[in-house]
Amino acid sequence: MRRWFILLLGIPLSCAAPAAKTRAAAPSGSASRTHWAYQAARRPQLPEIDQPTGVANPIDSFVLARLRRGQRTFNPPAPPAVRLRRVTLDLIGLPPSLDEVDSFLADQRPDAWARVVDRLLASPAYGEHWGRYWLDLARYADTNGYNIDVRRPIWPYRDWVINALNTDLTYDQFTVEQIAGDLLPAATRAQRIATGFHRNTMINQEGGVDPEADRVKAIVDRVNTTATVWLGTTLACSHCHDHIYDPFTQREFFAFYAFFNQTADVAGGVPNSSLEPLLRVPSPEQQVEWDRLRSALANLAEGQTAAREKLRQAETALLESVPSTMVLKERSQRRITRVHLRGDIGNPGEVVTPAVPAALHPFPAAVGKSGPPNRLDLARWLVAGDNPLTGRVTVNRYWQRFFGTGLVATSDDFGKRGHSPSHPALLDWLAREFVDAGWRVKATHRLIATSRTYQQATYRPHQKKNQTSVRSSQQDPPLAGPWLDRGPRFRLAPETIRDLALAASGLLNQQIGGPSVYPLQPAGFWLEFGTRGFDMEEWPTSAAAERSRRGVYTFWRRTTVYPAFAIFDAPSREHCTVRRSRSNTPLQALSTLNDPAFLRCAAALGLRALEANHSSQSDRIVFAFRLCLSRRPQPLELARLVTFYEQQLDHYRNHHSDADKLITAADLAPVAQIDRSEWAAWTILASLLLNLDETITKG
Amino acid sequence: MIDGGGHSASHRCPREAAAEVTARRHFLSSTTGGFVGALGLASLLNRNSGAARQPAPLHRPLAVRMPHFAPRAKRVICLFMLGGPSQFELLDHKPRLNALHGTPVPADLVRGDQFAFIKGTPNLAGSSFRFARHGQSGAELSELLPHLATVADDLAIVRSMHTEEFNHDPAVMFFNAGSAFTGRPALGSWLTYGLGSESEELPGFVVLASGEPEGPPVGFHHWTSGFLPTAHQGVRFRGHGDPVLFLSNPPGVTHRTRRQTIAALRDLNTIQQENIGDPEIGARIAAFELAFRMQTSVPELTDLGRESATTLRQYGAAVGDSSFANNCLLARRLVERGVRFVQLYHRHWDHHGFNDKDQNVLHALPQRCREVDQPAAALIKDLKQRGLLDETLVIWGGEFGRTPMVQQAPTPTRLGRDHHPGAFSIWLAGGGIQPGTLGRTDELGYQIAEDGVHIHDLHATLLHLLGLDHTALVHRHQGRDFRLTDVAGHVVEKLLG
Repeated sequence: MRRWFILLLGIPLSCAAPAAKTRAAAPSGSASRTHWAYQAARRPQLPEIDQPTGVANPIDSFVLARLRRGQRTFNPPAPPAVRLRRVTLDLIGLPPSLDEVDSFLADQRPDAWARVVDRLLASPAYGEHWGRYWLDLARYADTNGYNIDVRRPIWPYRDWVINALNTDLTYDQFTVEQIAGDLLPAATRAQRIATGFHRNTMINQEGGVDPEADRVKAIVDRVNTTATVWLGTTLACSHCHDHIYDPFTQREFFAFYAFFNQTADVAGGVPNSSLEPLLRVPSPEQQVEWDRLRSALANLAEGQTAAREKLRQAETALLESVPSTMVLKERSQRRITRVHLRGDIGNPGEVVTPAVPAALHPFPAAVGKSGPPNRLDLARWLVAGDNPLTGRVTVNRYWQRFFGTGLVATSDDFGKRGHSPSHPALLDWLAREFVDAGWRVKATHRLIATSRTYQQATYRPHQKKNQTSVRSSQQDPPLAGPWLDRGPRFRLAPETIRDLALAASGLLNQQIGGPSVYPLQPAGFWLEFGTRGFDMEEWPTSAAAERSRRGVYTFWRRTTVYPAFAIFDAPSREHCTVRRSRSNTPLQALSTLNDPAFLRCAAALGLRALEANHSSQSDRIVFAFRLCLSRRPQPLELARLVTFYEQQLDHYRNHHSDADKLITAADLAPVAQIDRSEWAAWTILASLLLNLDETITKG
Repeated sequence: MIDGGGHSASHRCPREAAAEVTARRHFLSSTTGGFVGALGLASLLNRNSGAARQPAPLHRPLAVRMPHFAPRAKRVICLFMLGGPSQFELLDHKPRLNALHGTPVPADLVRGDQFAFIKGTPNLAGSSFRFARHGQSGAELSELLPHLATVADDLAIVRSMHTEEFNHDPAVMFFNAGSAFTGRPALGSWLTYGLGSESEELPGFVVLASGEPEGPPVGFHHWTSGFLPTAHQGVRFRGHGDPVLFLSNPPGVTHRTRRQTIAALRDLNTIQQENIGDPEIGARIAAFELAFRMQTSVPELTDLGRESATTLRQYGAAVGDSSFANNCLLARRLVERGVRFVQLYHRHWDHHGFNDKDQNVLHALPQRCREVDQPAAALIKDLKQRGLLDETLVIWGGEFGRTPMVQQAPTPTRLGRDHHPGAFSIWLAGGGIQPGTLGRTDELGYQIAEDGVHIHDLHATLLHLLGLDHTALVHRHQGRDFRLTDVAGHVVEKLLG
């Protein structure tokens, strides 16, 4: 019955094939090293282009050079309002306000676009939006996972990520603090909070769990996640045996594992279940009070026992209200790491010491001179200037966020089985630019957002009259495909769909940070899945204002993800997710049509239109339309909307009780002196607008 | 495109009418152009290699796809007893164990084995319930399963199952996805990935759950599509409220209002599609229209009031309940409509003996059996009577079995057994399986003695019955071709009828 131990689940199909033997014999053979991704990225020459019309920056030179080779050209830029909506959604995850649209449309300065990009990069909403992407990689969630799946305190880590992005912490420092912030000399509280990155591993609290087996699972996940996020590498495949395709041996897997095997956290099992080590994270006010109490304690004279006792009690009471967060901490006594033969922890092999894979760039000579290399050395190695992977992998992920697909489509696999880059020179140029200019994240986003390539229209003019668009898409590569001769167009993430509805309706609460919140979800939903007890029976719906926070603050329970998110392909965050699915299902339609949270937005948006300072009905419709889509409706669209509105008004004028029911269900604060039939009709119109394909799409 | 006469309630927008015609066409094609029709009989006789098959169209991930070879079953109903039912009280009769009741387990037998709770060498415990032979086949079933005994000749009882995980959550994942690691697709997702969905109105993979919210829970990760496209994810039908989340219109929104909304969405999205030419917009239009049809078809589906009183009585179902019996009847209605994989979770089978009540093999297990025995037997009879059993595979089982040793010191009124992945029992019916009893455990029921069936073997066999070669049903993810059976699994020939 030792079989249970075997974590052997990663052997590829061709494992038994002769190829496996060949690989084992030459684990870091020269053929593997010549794979493009393991060679240093060199800064390529910019292509020479005759009449480089419309080239805004070097990105465009690379793209245009390839287009010319294919006898193609750039698509014209998307219309200004559409472009503004695109870049606003991409940089801050919210739609532009109407003032922002109007002022951009009126701005005739040559650098109007760059000004918009800079304004957005400076917005605190930028960190919330880009932080959300990072939290998928970090597998951040508010619960432990597995079947008990109770709360864990780690939201300060989420706030650290948002703040790091907003303050434009350089990516190398961003990396070092998350992998090894605790090992930095004189580590600050923030640097220790950052190590929550690797405390996001799951903890199994089932009765019969072997704590050591659960701890090992967490360490393996830290190895795999680190390799995926920074190296774009499927190191996970070498957990049980040498990698079949890429130059990593099982021994190298465990040498990498040895870096992470020295932390004090103990993971699962009932007797050992522990969230420790935890770090107290007082608010500024709490910190002032704490400092005051401590200095008062220090200043007490001998014998003032009663006063000392009183102060101690005050301190204890204060600390009970101070939040904590899970962090990494190095053990005082080193663990010996052995290879787990066939990935089986019950089958220990040779002892290994911390080392990085031979196929990648080496450690600097000084590392390891005074004791074995540690996590901090590893973190610095990940962001070393000669690392061939981190720069490419990171800029490729940024590209994927803007364009829907990376220059390397398999953004989670830069190995031999991954795709080759569609624009290798562009990828290398971007990677070098990113790394050599000091790992500046906002500057890289600015570069992409200000390129001509990014600003293109999503359609080609000749297609406008082509009704059989499916056929035309078969003739051309898919939208935003390898040619990059069109702008990106794809469905928004569920958090953005939610935030957009809240912003358009004026309900959005822009408060940043703090404990996760509980917006409306169907009653009884947790207990349909969960178990009585553990204080996880009821979703404790937040107060009205908190229900309208951005999606990034929604409580994330791994086994029962917030349904409106799960329906739109949000991952469980049980493990690192580099690329989310983008499905298109009827359940999504039901969610945006009927979810009470969306109804609330529709009613608020309807009310906003109804109360707007416009004289005509069609002006109000245009107003609501622009709140969702930024552009103005075409005459045909407006006519259809007017007809629809009149249908609805007619119905609710003749069915007052339906209007009452709808408005009551929307659960907004009552509004005096309003015609409920009109409000109901506007609510249905607003719901229609919030459900348009274009509304839930970035185009 | 513009509905000029929208003021009149009786005037219908031409788009609305068109949508209904389309809906009817969909319905016709799904009923007349069904599975075999789409397949072509000739192709059934030729094996298709997995690689040669066309991938599912990008915008119709659930389009019906040809299997690799002629299938025996078209769909699966999996009755999953969450927590790990005791085989010693239900399906694996062990007279020798009964004779050794109360004596310590031989130390050699369990040396080196790890359990969830048991330490040392506790006493053996025989079955507390009597077994008898039933049917022509003489299948041995315990007295806790009197209804199942009436369909004994339809059952293939497998007494030699084994798995690799001894904690609930990893073991449930292993049963569902062939892996205890998260992120692997569930069986139902693999089936819709391999075969598509025959239903135009319903998801291809539906999950139902019943039982008290106690013991191991059910969670999204048990019906995840993992690295497969999320269109293959299981959809949970709920026992109360909307059967599908957000199915009902908000209060004050009538069916007519909703129809007008769908029609207007189609018109406006069509304008956009004509401008932009993105086929994804067409898929969105279709998704909204399907959602609208589901608002009618799902309540019709879940309305058990449409069943005869006799049928309800046979199952022990009652309109308005969210019982296992109701779910069994609902499962039949789902497979009738072409749903590929229906999984029913029934909870609270984890009987460790921590107390006299819900943790007690003597008390809670008979209760669970009363909840599932009659409906499960009724499901088999009902499918058979409707001619659906031949093409519908029914599986009953849990994530692992229980130990022949007691966990807690037993009392006259209490018995508890620990988790046991090394040997346990399940049964199957219909869908091209060979009825009978397969496999044997040792005299204490602790280890497999003959014809062991690993979870990977079960999966390989299920896929085979559905016309899929488990080594050819692959999906490339992060550079590796993954399959449900990982690198293992053999089709259990003895289970094939």
